[in-house]
Amino acid sequence: MAFLKFRKGKKRVFVFSIDGVPYTFLKAQMEAGRFPHLRELDGQSPLSRMRSVYPTISSVAWSSYMTGQNPAKHGIFGFVDRKPGSAEVFIPTSLNMTSKTLWEILSQHGKQVVVMNVPVTYPPRQVNGLLVSGFLATDLKKATYPAEAAAELESMGYRIDADAALARESLDRFLDDLHQTLDRRVEAMFHLMEHRPWDYFHVHIMGTDRINHFLWGHMERGDATYAPLFLEYYDRIDEILGRLLDRLDPEVHFILMSDHGFCTIKGEINLSRYLIEQNLLKYRSSPPKGLADIHPESRAYTLLPGRVYINLKGREPQGGVDPEEYEQVRDQVADTLLQFRLPDSGEPVIREVFKREDIYSGEHLEAAADLFAIPHDGFDLKADARKETLVEHSALVGMHTYDDASVLIRGSTAIRPNVEIIDLLPTVFDLMDVPVPADIDGRNAVT
Amino acid sequence: MEQKGCCVWFTGLPCSGKTTVADLVAEELKKKNLRVERLDGDIVRQSLTRDLGFSKEDRDKNIERVTFVAKLLSRNGVAVLVSFVSPYRKARDHAREECTNFVEVFVDTPVEECEKRDVKGMYAKARAGEIKDFTGVDDPYEAPLNAELILETVETTEEECCRQVIEKMAQLGLIPSAGGEGTPEEPVYSPEEEEKIQKRLEDLGYL
Repeated sequence: MAFLKFRKGKKRVFVFSIDGVPYTFLKAQMEAGRFPHLRELDGQSPLSRMRSVYPTISSVAWSSYMTGQNPAKHGIFGFVDRKPGSAEVFIPTSLNMTSKTLWEILSQHGKQVVVMNVPVTYPPRQVNGLLVSGFLATDLKKATYPAEAAAELESMGYRIDADAALARESLDRFLDDLHQTLDRRVEAMFHLMEHRPWDYFHVHIMGTDRINHFLWGHMERGDATYAPLFLEYYDRIDEILGRLLDRLDPEVHFILMSDHGFCTIKGEINLSRYLIEQNLLKYRSSPPKGLADIHPESRAYTLLPGRVYINLKGREPQGGVDPEEYEQVRDQVADTLLQFRLPDSGEPVIREVFKREDIYSGEHLEAAADLFAIPHDGFDLKADARKETLVEHSALVGMHTYDDASVLIRGSTAIRPNVEIIDLLPTVFDLMDVPVPADIDGRNAVT
Repeated sequence: MEQKGCCVWFTGLPCSGKTTVADLVAEELKKKNLRVERLDGDIVRQSLTRDLGFSKEDRDKNIERVTFVAKLLSRNGVAVLVSFVSPYRKARDHAREECTNFVEVFVDTPVEECEKRDVKGMYAKARAGEIKDFTGVDDPYEAPLNAELILETVETTEEECCRQVIEKMAQLGLIPSAGGEGTPEEPVYSPEEEEKIQKRLEDLGYL
């Protein structure tokens, strides 16, 4: 016996998110006459530039979107993190996120949700509706809430992620894989949006970030083979956008967004190597065997991208910096990072260094890195201390940027300047007439 | 974690949604491989208490017997989900004293809404005087004063009510938590999965 029918009407929201698609790229392509469906939408409700989070990676950006909070409140700081008080690292999952997500809060208010493929939603946490996890889920059977939904998605050939390893073997096979994954995602999206009750529907496309990582450079330099194939993938996204808008109730609030921008990699910078060269980091053996191998004389170490930890006594297992020296050492390390120049060209690598309390606040502040090194665009900060070279080039040609994410809210003609990804949760709640919880850091992107 | 016995007691007016929500909760708990028993008014009155009517005295006896069964089950590690109108506070308080880990869930649906949902037309019959001592019409309902959870069912779906019950049970430590506690009790990835994940992160330059 159902005691309530699901609602239709004006207070519903559909979010179409495209991972890592820069505002400036979409703008430039529209100006060049591409993406007719996006152009039409942009004509009514302009696409706007949005800020991401520090560090600018999808796991942190999406955690911040779905909680409306800064990382020191939700507790997700990267794709890997340190286990407190040990030299072990672990891969944070949805269970490490200590805040309620947008879809959980909506569920509490009796709203029905469908959430597809958003990163850091594995293992799936309970919602009022359906959630299928995204990037870093391993097996579809374990990636849905409720568990029964997996069979329905499996029957549609649903894929959680394309296989990025293919890109290092064959770009053509990688592209085929991206297209197939997209096809299955879109088929499932149309099926679910028309067969499930929902007040909030979120579909996430990860493929844009993947293609950017491996083909952004080809696109930028106009590679004869791969630049057209890169744009073809984006043309498909635009075509899907057109079909989606045709089928979506015009009263539904529609949001198009990405979580960060992208630019061409000029070099992968091994920040661990730099710290070693500056005598700030030392390992007990060579090649080093992980964080446990850090020498107590070390002043600092780093996890990617640009998260720098002071080797503090009492906190780090091999800690060598006395608590009373902490501020002085932190300033010294920050200065050294800011002085980082490429050996051959003399180009500065680090644009800015933040202390954690400059950008974060909340109960998990102590778990955050002590310093955040923000590179100039083009320098992708890595941290593999086993590698001896300072600058490397690999199959990866694109890297994330902070201030070039995109957002478009259908019906909103003016999005605030300097809007941030954490501002979208309160925006969604206001559109749905759901009270915004008090511990949210963001504020409405429009008003 | 070893399953803890408990008694989740759904109380509310006839047709308020007690059975619907309790059935959903039972399904959810079974999915988590927990031991579950349902004690539902309509079913129990056809067997264990079929000799009883709806006078105050008989209603008290009805709840007393149900309480006895719930006590035995809950102290033996079963999650017992009881759904009875159980209109009298004193009878419910007695159940609270007797059962292990008692959780009172007040299904707080206004009488007008219950009447709308009344598929068997019992409210109409009570209003016409064909049924006597009908709770909400000519017999009082004593709302809980200290329920662990109050469910609003007019603006909330049955699935969401179920989720709230599960969440409350998790909060009270009666069932494993759905997550979000910061440090999962069990590792999320098996060693093989972790290897796969590491490889995926490496492929993307995230390690």
